[in-house]
Amino acid sequence: MAEALYDRDITCDVLVVGSEGSGGQAAVNAARAGLDVLIASKGKMSRCGASQMAGADFNLDGRSAIALGLPGDDRDSPQRFCEDLVREGFHLGNQRMVEKYVEYAAKNTADLLEWGMPVYRFEQVHAEEMARGLITSGVKWVRILRRKVREMGIRVLEDTMVVDLLSGEGRACGAVALDLKSGEIVLIRARAVVLCTGGWQQAYHFNSAAADLTGDGQAMAFRAGAEMIGMEMVQYIPATMLWPPMARKSILPYIMMETEAGPFVQLLNSEGERFMQRYDPTTMEQSTKEIVAIAGELEVEEGRGSPHGGVYFALKHLTPEGIDFVWGKFKGFLDENRDKRSEFRKLLPRLLEMAKTEDLEVGNAVHFMVGGIRVNERTETGIPGLYAAGECSGGLWGSVRVASATTQVGAQGRIAGEACPAYINGVEHIEPDKDQLEAIRERIRAPLRRTEGVPPIEFLERMHGVTDEYLRVIREGEGLESAYDELSWMRRDEAARLYVSTSKTKRLNFEWQLCLELENMLLCLEMSTLASLRREESRGGFYRRDFPHTDNDRWCVNTVISNRDGEPSLRLEDPVVTSIPLPAGRMTFEEAVASGTASLKRGEVER
Amino acid sequence: MSHPTINVRCFRYDPETDPAPRFQDYRVPLVEGEMSVQDCLNHIREQLDPGLAYCMNCRLGFCQRCILKVNGKVVLACETAVEGDIVVEPVNASEVIRDLWCEST
Repeated sequence: MAEALYDRDITCDVLVVGSEGSGGQAAVNAARAGLDVLIASKGKMSRCGASQMAGADFNLDGRSAIALGLPGDDRDSPQRFCEDLVREGFHLGNQRMVEKYVEYAAKNTADLLEWGMPVYRFEQVHAEEMARGLITSGVKWVRILRRKVREMGIRVLEDTMVVDLLSGEGRACGAVALDLKSGEIVLIRARAVVLCTGGWQQAYHFNSAAADLTGDGQAMAFRAGAEMIGMEMVQYIPATMLWPPMARKSILPYIMMETEAGPFVQLLNSEGERFMQRYDPTTMEQSTKEIVAIAGELEVEEGRGSPHGGVYFALKHLTPEGIDFVWGKFKGFLDENRDKRSEFRKLLPRLLEMAKTEDLEVGNAVHFMVGGIRVNERTETGIPGLYAAGECSGGLWGSVRVASATTQVGAQGRIAGEACPAYINGVEHIEPDKDQLEAIRERIRAPLRRTEGVPPIEFLERMHGVTDEYLRVIREGEGLESAYDELSWMRRDEAARLYVSTSKTKRLNFEWQLCLELENMLLCLEMSTLASLRREESRGGFYRRDFPHTDNDRWCVNTVISNRDGEPSLRLEDPVVTSIPLPAGRMTFEEAVASGTASLKRGEVER
Repeated sequence: MSHPTINVRCFRYDPETDPAPRFQDYRVPLVEGEMSVQDCLNHIREQLDPGLAYCMNCRLGFCQRCILKVNGKVVLACETAVEGDIVVEPVNASEVIRDLWCEST
């Protein structure tokens, strides 16, 4: 008897892949319109993905804030917020998307307030000139979304990894998923699919993300024929804990630098030198994230790094009175934010204690994916019935994210949820094609069936070797070419040899899941490398040592990658402009940062 | 450079194939600096036995999915520092799906 194409099947109007900040919001909004929505999440609701770990701040312009009863600044306006976002994103952002982001930022915030999300403060964030940040807690945000999803009776498949999309008659018509607990293959028939799967941070050795973020959405969208945009734009966060292992990947030192105590923090190299004075003598450690990250990496390259490849976060230069003063600042911050981040309760007090006697090793962690699935302002991909919202999508930010991702995911989630009803009206279910189902089943089962090949852990280490060596904050042509050759060889030849090397059980098989995730991470990395290689300039969060200028005459364009017979094919495309003209001229990276992020520059450091 | 090595005794059980739960010992080197129970489990999975089932997500106390019994006490694996030998069990052994992962994980 022929092997079944799937073990069980479910039918819904809208499949939302991902359950958190954007998935939850998309699901609620589609369900509000009376649609039958199914969420499939690789983890458990409110306990997976990026949103739980958010600070979190929700941005909105002052006028919209006032309308919601928040202490907004009446000099502000939606238009002014748009202008700041476009300028600070170095003009690559899709202006229609930015306008819609600003409009829906307010709508998303209104929803969340109505559902009971707490407000701690309303203040200046992202070093903006005006207060645009509603400060809340990421953990509370996602729990509120979970409650709303439950209240509405939305079905949720947890611990279920969507592996590939199904299409028929040129439209998205569902997906195939793997139930991680049972190992069953699940066919999901849907009239529309919304991808809300986050970034691909796990492709990089040193990242600040949850384990789920493996580029599943980007990779499955690409395989289904969707396009990617801005894949070279990867945001790093400096001052992320490198050591000890227990604190690794925590961004607490970075958060500390953003508080009132920030100006007292020094970053030192292995010679004890406050190296920022050579890179940005005016603002020093309070320079922009990008400049601090580049400076730290140069120190490591020149042999002045810490044992685990970073620099030192130091407080012990302070006098005893100074330390008490800083402690007081931290303590106030801590007391006020105790239930905001779990790290504040245990890890932060320990790190503060450590910092009294030793310097903390910190480094540049891959934090956020600026690029992703190419969508328009309605979150539509090029494939009818396929939407992408939140971090897995691209095109909003341009070359650097300068406002909060929490706002993006909520706003775009709501846009996607609202877009589904109109599309679905008149669209019938399409019975999935048997060949397609069989190919996906084979792709899922192959690593389990193979008895020899490359174990996924070995493959992952090799991939991380490539990112550690070539895909760092500072990039250059030769290294990118080596990375591209290695990654494309791994994807074309080596991925077909991935195999589950120990337990062949289908239930909670980590190796099996990793094999599937590796294919996705590899594809995202390859596309990111291809785009990095093509962009012969430096812009925003993207820095090429061999092309250190920001070149608006040639490079104020986006990289777009499409699927040509299964291979990534790159073209350049002008940004979508509505009201803010594109700049001209060529300037050094430092000049560009200074002009582009004038409102982001902070005051002079206290010495 | 050699580091002290500890014994990590892990609960192993596959209700579909094993007649009864058993314990398996792994030797894990402690590196300089604090290591958590989760770091030890990650070491086992990455270096010794990728077949060990347990849940890891955020590593920093947010998701709380790494809730386990360590030396008889219910803790979050990511927030619990390791100083000596440990015994690691699922939080509820009567509802194990596989190894350290149970229904309420």
